[in-house]
Amino acid sequence: MIDLRGVSRTVMSGTAPLTILHPLDLFVAAGQSLAITGPSGSGKSTLLGLIAGLDTPSSGRVAIDGVDITQLDEDRLARLRGEKIGFVFQFFHLIPSLTALENVLVPMEIAGRADAASRAASLIEEVGLTGRGHHYPSQLSGGEQQRVAIARALANDPPILLADEPTGNLDSANGAHVMGLLLDVNRARRTTLVLVTHDVGLASRLHTQLALKDGRPDPERSRLATAEPR
Amino acid sequence: MRFVLRMALRETRAAWKRLLFFFACLALGVAAIVTLRSVIESVRLVMTGEARTLIGGDILITTGRPWAESDRAALDARLAAEPAARTRTDAIETATMARPSDERKPVARMVEIRGVEASFPLYGEVRLRNGQRYSHALLDQHGVLVRPELLTVLDVAVGDSLIIGRTPFVIRGVLDSEPGRRSGGFSLGPRVLVDRQALVDAGLLGYGSRANYQVMLRVDEAKVAALGKALTDAFKDRFINVRTFRSTENDLGEDLARAENYLSLVGLVILVLGGIGVSSVTRVFVEQKLKSIAILKCVGAGTRHVLGIYMTEIVALGLAGSLMGVALAAGLVAALPAFVPTTGPTGAPIDYRLTRSAMAQGVLVGMLVAVLFALVPLLRVRLVRPSLLLREESGGSRRIDWVRVFAVAIVGVALVAVAGWQAGSLRVGLVVCGGFLAITLVLLAAAWLLVWLVKPLRRAKSFVVRHAALNLDRPGNQTRTVLLAVGLGCFFIVGVRAIETNLLDSLNITVGADSPDMFLIDVQQDQAAPLAAFLTPRIAPAPPPMLLPVLRARVTAVKGKQISLEKLADVRERGSLAREYTITYRPALQRNERVVAGRFWDATPSATPEVSIEEGLQDRFKIQVGDTVRFDVLGLPIEAKVTSVRAVNWRDARAGGFMFVFRPGSLDKAPHGFIAPFRAPEDVAARARLQRDLVAAFPNVSVIDLREFLDTGRALIRSLTLGVTIVGGLVLFTGVLILTGAVAMTRFRRTRESAILKTLGASTRVVGKLLLLEYGMLGAIAGVVGAGGGLVLSWAISRWAIALAWRAPWLDVLAAVALTIVLVSGVGLAASVDVLRRKPLATLRAE
Repeated sequence: MIDLRGVSRTVMSGTAPLTILHPLDLFVAAGQSLAITGPSGSGKSTLLGLIAGLDTPSSGRVAIDGVDITQLDEDRLARLRGEKIGFVFQFFHLIPSLTALENVLVPMEIAGRADAASRAASLIEEVGLTGRGHHYPSQLSGGEQQRVAIARALANDPPILLADEPTGNLDSANGAHVMGLLLDVNRARRTTLVLVTHDVGLASRLHTQLALKDGRPDPERSRLATAEPR
Repeated sequence: MRFVLRMALRETRAAWKRLLFFFACLALGVAAIVTLRSVIESVRLVMTGEARTLIGGDILITTGRPWAESDRAALDARLAAEPAARTRTDAIETATMARPSDERKPVARMVEIRGVEASFPLYGEVRLRNGQRYSHALLDQHGVLVRPELLTVLDVAVGDSLIIGRTPFVIRGVLDSEPGRRSGGFSLGPRVLVDRQALVDAGLLGYGSRANYQVMLRVDEAKVAALGKALTDAFKDRFINVRTFRSTENDLGEDLARAENYLSLVGLVILVLGGIGVSSVTRVFVEQKLKSIAILKCVGAGTRHVLGIYMTEIVALGLAGSLMGVALAAGLVAALPAFVPTTGPTGAPIDYRLTRSAMAQGVLVGMLVAVLFALVPLLRVRLVRPSLLLREESGGSRRIDWVRVFAVAIVGVALVAVAGWQAGSLRVGLVVCGGFLAITLVLLAAAWLLVWLVKPLRRAKSFVVRHAALNLDRPGNQTRTVLLAVGLGCFFIVGVRAIETNLLDSLNITVGADSPDMFLIDVQQDQAAPLAAFLTPRIAPAPPPMLLPVLRARVTAVKGKQISLEKLADVRERGSLAREYTITYRPALQRNERVVAGRFWDATPSATPEVSIEEGLQDRFKIQVGDTVRFDVLGLPIEAKVTSVRAVNWRDARAGGFMFVFRPGSLDKAPHGFIAPFRAPEDVAARARLQRDLVAAFPNVSVIDLREFLDTGRALIRSLTLGVTIVGGLVLFTGVLILTGAVAMTRFRRTRESAILKTLGASTRVVGKLLLLEYGMLGAIAGVVGAGGGLVLSWAISRWAIALAWRAPWLDVLAAVALTIVLVSGVGLAASVDVLRRKPLATLRAE
């Protein structure tokens, strides 16, 4: 499902190049879940961004469902994300000028789904926000905003769900609620889940773990499945 | 597409309050275009429909000199042989003096008198006041119809008697309008209508007096063009002018269309300024929307979706702004009849209403400007990457974005096209856009310089001063936009005020302490000596009147230069050489003249004609010393050799100014008149008495009171500059709108900064001072740049376009700069009240 070969990322820090992710191979099979852990600045979010095609690797290739996304232009990448990848951010990133329901509607409208309205309503219900759909993000609590973000990520029923520290900005009760939702999705819908987190306890609830340190895998703390035979 | 429309709708719902502000700038420009075009189209509709009434017939034949017997006979024969020419009426127009018969009223006034026959008018009607109906019987037995203003000036009423020439006329009615009255032209005095034969008998048409002889014809419609052409051909060498109502209609239509196009450029200038506002708001808007754009891209939207959403929004708001403009124009046009004449020159009612074409043009131009100005800043959404959501990214790449460069080029070409379309001429479009670009660049360069000059303040000891100076140059600042918008308004207003001041100054100088302020014209040869004897004691201690011999002449040929000026058509092509000149002869130079080429003759008369020309003629028509110029002096051909070229100081009106001066000897014997400039008493009553006595003693002599003319001139300049000042005011108002909007748009950043400053210990007072100082500096820079530009503009126009001495109206300039500072800091602070009021925690928590 997700297949990374020799993927690295180097950025310019001032005038000197800085490698934030060293060449890395990674495979996540369909329906599996992976936790990426590590301290701040270890390259977790960078790796997640590369998987989502939000960023371009400096070397290597990223394949999603057999498609090499490093060869796609911005618009085709956007279409691929719309169809195959749902994304949940630490800071929610809802569009402030749209209501909760409209935020959920957007990916389906882009994809041109006819059942967008009814599906958005049922997703809002599914994440426990019945009756709050017409509120603007500024009128919702952090936990509620993150649940809207999850509903939005699930809108097009994507086979992959990526989450960047989804509980990092929430209190423990809300965090647990959000985590429960994500794990449910992985189990019930067989959605591949890749999650970035600081929380080792949380990470242990997923099928596999990749620990990063200074942009490199830390084999001692990682617990990975065997790569798919090639 | 449905997604794009829905998203545009949602985005507009959230942002329209902030954005509409800028589209109000568009509304002003659109309102100006729609109003001006609608008004002129309404006038055009009436005027062109009334072409027959305007010229008084299907065909109008005019000449500026008495009919030569041969011409008259040829015309009579031609018309007798033309069955299509069904009716004919003759008229004569001249300027003369009128005074009340009542000797106790010491006033006299120059009037434009027109003598008409019983068959007048062929078309239209003579409109009289108080419902009185016109018939020629009113003019029988020395009846006269006069304009209401003459009643006031001469203190007379209907039934009273006026003396015109030596003949008393009884006022039988008050004239509103009449067919065949020249419109908009320069008028020597109020109109007076009499019987044609009575005018001839009144002895006003002495040799050399200025009169216009007219023949109006009613012709079968189908034959108008053919007969018009035949008559033009038959009399083309005789200085007889033939016009048909069709050519009048066309000329009028073209003149008004040109006026409409040029005036609508005023609207376009305001609109372009609004466009700059739109461009600025779009830039800030995109900056604020970067995250939302990244989110959209993250959930599957392509660049085309995002561009589509925001472009749809711009189009919708552009449409809203343009429709606001149309509504504003509707209000203006509805209010118009209270301020402008509601009847045309012929008395036909003008129905002011918005025309469809004006509305369509206004809306289209408004939307085009909105889209064109939004396009370039909007293209930035292409470069927004969704990875922005994972980490803050530094500003975009430094590589040249060729798509943007291409878009800038396209927008430039499109703007020239829009300006060219509005002006009805690509050349004018280019000039307007080029001029705008030049002014913009100059203002921006000057603004950059001033921002650079206040840079040392960034190291000032005072925290407030230091930060205010820094803020002018902060990333994403609105300094340039505000400077351009406000500076441009200041530029127009100061420029126009400075020109007005200088024009009015020049009028004051002309009536210097001892220069003549009254002129007598049409003084006959035998009246010269008695007139001097009459005037000298009455104007003492002022010097006796100068009596300048004058003749009227046309240049018909310039020999030795292979320039044929034999035919009227050729003469026309040579420009103003074709006009009739007033010439004189004298033995010596006047004190306002000096010779720049050749030699001026000595005092001895010579029978061989010699002429001295003004240097402008030498430059414009390439007439040199030694050339022979042939003149037609009231039908008498005279060939004169150019022996000198003179520079004339036209502002010293004491001795008048003449383009052609002859050596005494060749013209003395020709019948001619005199003009007499002199200094009249200052006292108003004494001036009026003098005029009255003069007219009583010399009825054919006309008096021009220079002071009255200068007053008229001053009023004209004031109303003209008022018009342009209103435009400048509109530009400034647009500037203030843009300023307010710019402040509102950057509020999100300001609020955050002020919250941080407050958290770090700055009081609301300090933050307020900082803002006040920042906007004060912005206002000072805009004021200095705009006023400086306006001064340069007025200097350039004074120097090159109207050749006037120039002085800077420093008081006005200081006032303009001070007002701009107050305006900008006031508006800036008022728009930032929210920034000052918000509690820091609320702001920081909302992040």
